[in-house]
Amino acid sequence: MDAQRLKENFAQVAQHGDAVALFFYSDLFLRNPHLRDMFPIGMSGQRDKLLRALGQIVSNVDDLGELVPFLQGLGRDHRKFGIIAEHYPHVGASLVATLRHYSGASWTPELEADWVAAYDVVSHVMLEAADQDGMAAPAWWSGEVVAVERRRFDIAVLRVRPDQPLPYAPGQSVAVELPQRLRHWRYLSMANAPRPDNTLDFHVRLVDGGAVSPVLVRSVQAGDRLRMGAAVGTLVLDESSHRDVLMVAGSTGLAPLKAILEQLAQRQTPPRTTLFFGARTRDALYDLPHLAELAGGHPWLTVVAAVSDEPGGGGFGMSFGSPFGAPEGYGPPGVPGSPVSFGASSWFGGPPSGASPGRPPGSASGRPPGQAPGQAASGDAASGHAAFGDTFGSAAAPVPSAPPRIEHGTLAEVVGRYGSWHGHDIYVCGPDAMVESTADRLLRDGVPRDRIRLESFAQR
Amino acid sequence: MNPAHPPLAPGGPRLTPGEVQAAAFARAALGRRGLDEDQVREFLQRVEHELVQLLNERAALAQEVDRLRAAPPDGGPDDARPDDAHFQAVRILSQAQQTADLYVADAERYTREMAQEARQHRDAILTDAQTRAGRMMEEAHHRAAAMADQAARSAGSPPAAPPARPDTPSAGHPDGPAYPESPMEMTRVDGASLDADERRRMEREIAYLRTYSDVYRTHLRAYLEALLRNVDEWEKSEKENPEKPR
Repeated sequence: MDAQRLKENFAQVAQHGDAVALFFYSDLFLRNPHLRDMFPIGMSGQRDKLLRALGQIVSNVDDLGELVPFLQGLGRDHRKFGIIAEHYPHVGASLVATLRHYSGASWTPELEADWVAAYDVVSHVMLEAADQDGMAAPAWWSGEVVAVERRRFDIAVLRVRPDQPLPYAPGQSVAVELPQRLRHWRYLSMANAPRPDNTLDFHVRLVDGGAVSPVLVRSVQAGDRLRMGAAVGTLVLDESSHRDVLMVAGSTGLAPLKAILEQLAQRQTPPRTTLFFGARTRDALYDLPHLAELAGGHPWLTVVAAVSDEPGGGGFGMSFGSPFGAPEGYGPPGVPGSPVSFGASSWFGGPPSGASPGRPPGSASGRPPGQAPGQAASGDAASGHAAFGDTFGSAAAPVPSAPPRIEHGTLAEVVGRYGSWHGHDIYVCGPDAMVESTADRLLRDGVPRDRIRLESFAQR
Repeated sequence: MNPAHPPLAPGGPRLTPGEVQAAAFARAALGRRGLDEDQVREFLQRVEHELVQLLNERAALAQEVDRLRAAPPDGGPDDARPDDAHFQAVRILSQAQQTADLYVADAERYTREMAQEARQHRDAILTDAQTRAGRMMEEAHHRAAAMADQAARSAGSPPAAPPARPDTPSAGHPDGPAYPESPMEMTRVDGASLDADERRRMEREIAYLRTYSDVYRTHLRAYLEALLRNVDEWEKSEKENPEKPR
């Protein structure tokens, strides 16, 4: 097998771009119509994936150390799609037909033999890994949604109970498929450390125009079923380390970090941990009350919230919360001696120190009937908090604890402002841009690259 | 007069001999001679487009003829080029897939735009509500404060010099009237004046609270009614234009 020849041929074929994958799938489905059902209606994303995987395989075809783990992962990964051994030869045949078609005159019997041999190796490694995985784990896990909490119009927290235990390390994620959106798999991170009842929490944010997230956020109900693949991901706790921990979470990137947080809490002596939780606006800090509660119960944990798109200081609108669903007994505004500053207290809906018990009764906490944008959710989140006590079995009744500080700026700025993070293990998760800028900032501050573990997701 | 022909579009409706024959052009605008230049130019463009298309088709046909001539003369259509049929099928299926992808992408873009619009709408509503609320609270506070002063005056004694409580219009939220008094202040006054002071203070506060809650309630009601009207209108407009195409 001539690796160089394969690479050159593939480079030539790949010039045709999307058409190559289009031809491949059409050829595959024509020869094996029963395979069409295993794919979604829209195939453009699928074609991109195919070309990327092929490119990756071909470029590493002479580097088995790199190639084999990739193929093993690919093989395991395909189990949840229902791909079995007998599908592999079909794919190989269509692949060779496609390569031949786009090679034109440069196609030779030797080249064909090379490709056939290469595909044999690839499918062998993939199948072997899949088979081995099959001895230990099912191809997928079915589960039932046991609770849904809509924290904001575009953010929901779901609790799912798999029919059988789904093993994972905190920080990992699973691909999820809904019956309402068959063949559309989306990765979601577990937001809790494994529990005795095996339930999994997911934090989902609605992506405008997305296929799956709107269903998850707006229509899924308790009792609905879904399928999950095996847990994957490298954003996991460095168990061997006892350094202090810094966590930076943007939006629903909080989920995996919260799971790791729970894992840390189980240690005899948890490390000193600082969690930065950021969003554009206050009302998107959908989990702040829980985090505050967590911090209240764990002296080793500090939670700092950050908002990037709202002005600092306390304008009138900012200093009032929602009149609806005000968090009773939660972070009561204007508590004498409350350690928080004006800006910080405002998220909890209270006017600053000037607040006096003589406020008019109609405005229990001085809240106007209109909701400030930043505030809509202080009510939402707070009512979520109450519900959490029931459905989500949060520990004890909400203990009024010092509300976390709310800083202004992007997470990268705020984290940078808090000083040096040398000597910390750092975990970052959130939208692409946020993760990138935060990592950049930390690296510029001299944090060693290998102390930072990160994961990001695209956000439109 | 309208142009005698539809606009150009690649692959659009083909030009027919009948159309060429029936082509009619408006007179040029006043002060110019001849036919409407734009219409003529557009028509010529369409003729050119048609010619290009015809030439292309002719070239393709010539190629096809060459290919057929080069193919072995015998052999039924079945066993001659089985691959050809397969490639045709692949091409057709690919085209169907691309059409499906296009529809999916369109639908996605459409929902994304709708969602984004809704999001902006939501933000605008919230900002508006926030502004209204701010104004409402300020007004309630001012009126209540005025009421309180009046109450204090009518309680008999001359009005307490400056308002006992620093006003904080910048923060914009209403504080209650001076309350609670600090113990230091309480001990400064003797029995009789304490009673009077106390009464004045209480009356002042009651007036403040009463007015404040009145104003607040009125505003709240008006606001909620406006919201309901909004929802009604929304519902109505949706019923009137169901499934309005883009």
